Parts: sequence; C-alpha cells; structure tokens
Amino acid sequence: MAPRASAASIRLDSLTADPASEAAVRETAMESVLVAAGEIGYREVSVRSILERSGGHRAQFYEQFESREDCFAQAYASWIERLCVSLLEAAATTPGWEGGVRAAVVRLLEFASERPAIARALLVEGQIAGQPMTARYEAALERLAAAVDGIRADLEPADAPPEATGSFVVGGIAASVAEALTAGDPERMWDSLPELMHFAVGAYLQSEDAEAAFERAHVLLERRRARLAEEAASAEREAGR
Amino acid sequence: MTELRLISGGAVALAEPEPDAVPPLPRLSPGRHGMPADLVRAHQRQRLLAAAAAALAEQGYGRLTAARVTELATVSSRTFYQHFEDLWACVLAAYEEQAARLCAGIERAGDAHAGIGAAIEFLAREPDAARLLSAEPPPQIAALAEARRELIGRLGAMLRRALAERDGATPLPGLERRLVAAALALVSTRAAGGDPERLRALEPELTELLLASL
Repeated sequence: MAPRASAASIRLDSLTADPASEAAVRETAMESVLVAAGEIGYREVSVRSILERSGGHRAQFYEQFESREDCFAQAYASWIERLCVSLLEAAATTPGWEGGVRAAVVRLLEFASERPAIARALLVEGQIAGQPMTARYEAALERLAAAVDGIRADLEPADAPPEATGSFVVGGIAASVAEALTAGDPERMWDSLPELMHFAVGAYLQSEDAEAAFERAHVLLERRRARLAEEAASAEREAGR
Repeated sequence: MTELRLISGGAVALAEPEPDAVPPLPRLSPGRHGMPADLVRAHQRQRLLAAAAAALAEQGYGRLTAARVTELATVSSRTFYQHFEDLWACVLAAYEEQAARLCAGIERAGDAHAGIGAAIEFLAREPDAARLLSAEPPPQIAALAEARRELIGRLGAMLRRALAERDGATPLPGLERRLVAAALALVSTRAAGGDPERLRALEPELTELLLASL
C-alpha cells in the first residue's frame, strides 16, 4: 500500500501543480513581507512573521525565495516599481505641470492612507534594509525627479533652478510622507498637502506661484474633508436604520 | 562638550574640542600605561562612538550589530556593555555627538550662506558622520527617531533665524523643516557613494535651493 501523504504535502502538491496558485502564493508572500516590515520593522522580520500574515508553509516559501532577504528584495523591487509608475501615470494624465505634481502627491498620499504598512516598508524600511533596496529607491526617485523637472523646458535659462532641484523636491516630499507614516498619523500627512505644493512649486517658480499652489491644494484638501465628513455621516445614518 | 585628545607619548588629556575636529580613534597601547582609569574609559567611549558611525556607514541600519562596533573599536564585548546598555544607546550617543558638532560648525560660520558651506564641508570631510546624520534611522528605535526630529528642527530654526536676520523674511511655518529634510535626503544619496567631492559639488546648488525656496 502506498504511504499516505500528509495534509501539508497534499496542499503543496496541489499548489506546485497549478502555476496560477504558485504565482498567487508568491504574490501573497511578497505583499506579506512588506506588511510585516512596515508593521514591525525590517530588522524584526522573519520567515515566521511573513507566514503568519500570508498563510502557507515554510516549504512553499523556500520554493519561491532563498531567504527572507530575497523575499523582501523581490517584493520591494516589484512594489516600488508599481508605485513609481502609478505616480508617473497620475501626473501624466492631469493637465498642467502644477496639476500633474499635485495629482502625483495626492496619489502618493492615497496609497499611504490605504496601505500604510506597505508605504512605510517602501519609504522607510527599504532604506534601513540597505542594498539593493536603496538603489531601487533612488532610481525611482530619479525617474520622478526627471518628470517633475519637465517644467524646465518652459523656463527662461536665466530663471532655471539648480540641476538638483528635481531630486531635492521629490526627496523632500518622500521624506515628509515618510515622517508622517513613522508618526502613524495619516491625517497629518494629508494636512501637509498645501505645504508640499508650496515647497515643490516654490523650488521652480516665483513665490506668488508657490502661494497660489498652496491655496489650490488647500481648496482640494477642504473638499476632501467635506467629502469624508459626508461619507461618515452617511455611514452613520445607514448604521442607524 | 569635553573630549579626549591624544597628546605626545600616546597619553590622553581632556580638552575643549574644536567643534569640527576629527575625534581620536587609535587604540591605547596594551598593558600598563599608567593612565587614570577615567581617561582610559573616556578614550574607550570615544572609540566606540567613532566605531558606531563607521559600522553604520559600512553595514547600514539593517545589518548593524554591536559585535561589529566592538570589533571596529577594538574593545571587548564586556567593555562595550560597560559603556552602553545596548547597540542603540551607542548609536544614539554617536548621533548626538555628531549632530552637536555639525550644529556648532554652522553656528560658528555666521550667516546662512556660510553656514550651509560649513555643513557641507563637515559632511564631506567626515563621511561616516554624513551617513549617520543623513540616513533615516529605524522608526522603532524611538530615541534615535526623536534625535533626528530634533536635529531637523534645530537646523530648520537656524535656517529661519539666519534668513530673518538677512532680509527680514518669515517663511511659511514648517517650510524650513521640509527644506532641511529634503537637503538631508539629497545628502544621504550623495554620501552613500563615499565620494566627498560629490558632496562638495552640492554646496552651491543646495545653498540656492535652501535660500531661494524660503
């Protein structure tokens, strides 16, 4: 009589036989390592802490990744690319330079509000983890900086700001969002939107432009607050029925 | 702040430091040297602080260990724990020391323009300090994260004050903190390569960005 397979090996066999499931296991583990790093810090992440969040078994994990470092590196590469493309897309599909910068910042704040642990892993813990994450982070910042720097083509050479302006602006925005994420205060992050726009626009244009950008971002922020208040009131009414 | 100085014959003495002087690192010669215990202890502490910054530059926060710090400081693990409760207490002490030296150099420079130049020169001359002060520390180490916030606040206040003295400008509240955080992010990128000239090349651009943005 053939030996009976254990429950674990049956699950493993079924997963490895199905490429779609294998990809799903991999994706879940990559998301889980980022969530774990964002919640408990990169230094504390272990394979156990990943599996606690993703489910599955050690054997499955080691079929996909060499180690927790390898899992984090692959997850970081995948998610920082997704975030970068998402921000570039937000900017590219919004009219005007200032509008594009604001749309990208809003997209970043939305991402950080909706997925704070992953945002923290990408903006904070990746720096702590070191290479190759640091290089990927800097490459993403450079792509975003090049996009922000697009306004340079519209400026007179005499008015052009220093070459490092794009990196300065993008690095400054990322540092501000990282600080708010570290403080665990998503609303404070949103409150900073007008200041971030003042900072970004002021680095390229005149102070009047920066003040106007501050005001427009402030209006947008007020609209968001009103919408959230309305949604909260509506949810309360639904719950009361 | 008082620090240890090596004087002739390998002896050490306590002296008021030049704010941006390089701290002494050499190990004391083994065996009997007739030095008072408190001076030996102070020398060990100074070596541990320098080693913490060097180990961080080498390993980053993700791989930093107390073992590597003691190895670079050429002290025993026992000596390490006689000075510091744990790795993070040592890194915090190193951070606070370098932050104080950076701020003292800026204060001494006088105006905003010279202050930015002094800061860049300090960081270019001392790459380990540059890495220590510009790298984002693990947020779970609350005291270290707080020390960084304090440094950003202090540098921001210095920038605001220097600008007010220059042309009476009053920047948007909080903007100076954002500018300092952005400058540190830029320094962190340039410091990572370990090339001091890349950092020095940043000075004119950073000066323009910081002063024009305010």
